[in-house]
Amino acid sequence: MNYSSELIKGTLKTIILKLLKDNKRMYGYEITQRVKELTKDKIQLTEGALYPSLHALEADGILTTETEYIGKRMRKYYSLSPKGKTLSKEKISEFADFMSTMKFLLDIKTDSA
Amino acid sequence: MYQLNDKQIDFILDDIKRNGVEMEDLQSNLLDHICCIVEQELEENGDFEHFYSSAIKKFYKKDFREIEEETISLLTFKNYYIMKKIMLISGIVSVTFMCLGILFKFLHLPGAGIMIVLGIGLISLLFLPLLFVLKIKERKETKDKVLIGIGTFSAILMCMGVLFKIMFWPFANMMAVSAIVILLLVFLPVYFFTGFRNPETKVNTVVSSLLIISGCGLFFTLVRSPAGSRLVGIQNTRDYINNERILDNEEKLLMMAKQKDAIMDAENETSKQLLNLCEDIKSKIIFFDVGVNTLGEDFESKDLWLGDGRIDKFMNEDQNMHSKIVKLRDLTGKYNSEIAAKFKDKMIPLRSNLNDSYQLRSTEALNGIIQIQMCLLQNQRAAR
Repeated sequence: MNYSSELIKGTLKTIILKLLKDNKRMYGYEITQRVKELTKDKIQLTEGALYPSLHALEADGILTTETEYIGKRMRKYYSLSPKGKTLSKEKISEFADFMSTMKFLLDIKTDSA
Repeated sequence: MYQLNDKQIDFILDDIKRNGVEMEDLQSNLLDHICCIVEQELEENGDFEHFYSSAIKKFYKKDFREIEEETISLLTFKNYYIMKKIMLISGIVSVTFMCLGILFKFLHLPGAGIMIVLGIGLISLLFLPLLFVLKIKERKETKDKVLIGIGTFSAILMCMGVLFKIMFWPFANMMAVSAIVILLLVFLPVYFFTGFRNPETKVNTVVSSLLIISGCGLFFTLVRSPAGSRLVGIQNTRDYINNERILDNEEKLLMMAKQKDAIMDAENETSKQLLNLCEDIKSKIIFFDVGVNTLGEDFESKDLWLGDGRIDKFMNEDQNMHSKIVKLRDLTGKYNSEIAAKFKDKMIPLRSNLNDSYQLRSTEALNGIIQIQMCLLQNQRAAR
């Protein structure tokens, strides 16, 4: 099952923040691969959505970057700034809250219940 | 695992650039990403070109540039709501300033000028540009964006034209007129015909177009016609020439009185100096305004008349002129203190606006100087 792009778009920021919180620093391709791996191919981030978000988060001071040369090309590593660390916590708890609300709203029965 | 060589890396980078991605940061990010994909997913002796062209297609829906466009729009419009707020606040503040400024102006209270300038400045340099940026975001078609751009530009130009006009800054008329020309000849036709074709916007378009035309019409009715300007100029010059004639007659009368008495009494030295200085200043002002030293009765046939522009620029830039005015003021003060001790009603009136700002027209300055000369001559005659 592949999720609709609207769902991904709304959660992309949270996904990026959470991954960087757990992995200190990552580069773009690594992020897409990690998401793919963790979700067992269910979520495949598109480059067209990932990079604009990364650049916007960087401009907002939420992410900091370091560049390294890999042979001829440059690789940009992203990590959370102090501001990003707090935002990451906020976003995750917000989303958890949102999920429980949605569960209730849509009357979804979870297996554990 | 496939190993990319330098040539292939250059090829990928060139392809990214060729497809319209201009931000360097994004270029290197995408380059690294594509290289990773190739290196991870292509077998050691696979076909690079074939793999590349199929891999790159997953990056976009329509064309490659959309990644950059999305990035730019996220970067620009992360402050969308702040911008909206600033726009509203600046609009309210500028309108408030303008209303208060106009009210103060009519009540002749201090601070009117600065409030009007702030109001117009804020509306044209903050409110209108922000409105433009926000409106453009809402439209998809380039034609609509260009139309909004032209409209905003002419509105800003018109506001600035009015501001420059009331502040007596240069190029005011040019700005206002070009704003109206753009509005009527470029904006209006495009706006009207695009809006008119669409049944939904038809009525609105017609109404707005009528409002624009009548607004511009009202603006133009306030502007004096060239023929009107000529008439006013001639009238003012006629006034000045008449004053000059009265002065001339006064001089003749004084001469006659002197001959009759045949007494050559010692003239007041200050008075003499003042009279000469006045003549000198007058001819300089006339030269500045019309390009000749004196104006005669035949000024109309020579097409020379005094305009209604302010003379402050000339007065302030010409050091010589400025020092002459300073001397005029000093001498008048000296003369008045000599005379005032004896007769209060014989004091020379000095125009209050003949101060450092020189915010007056040449005719006003000339007539003011003639008043000084008249007083001097009459005082001399009365002293006999």
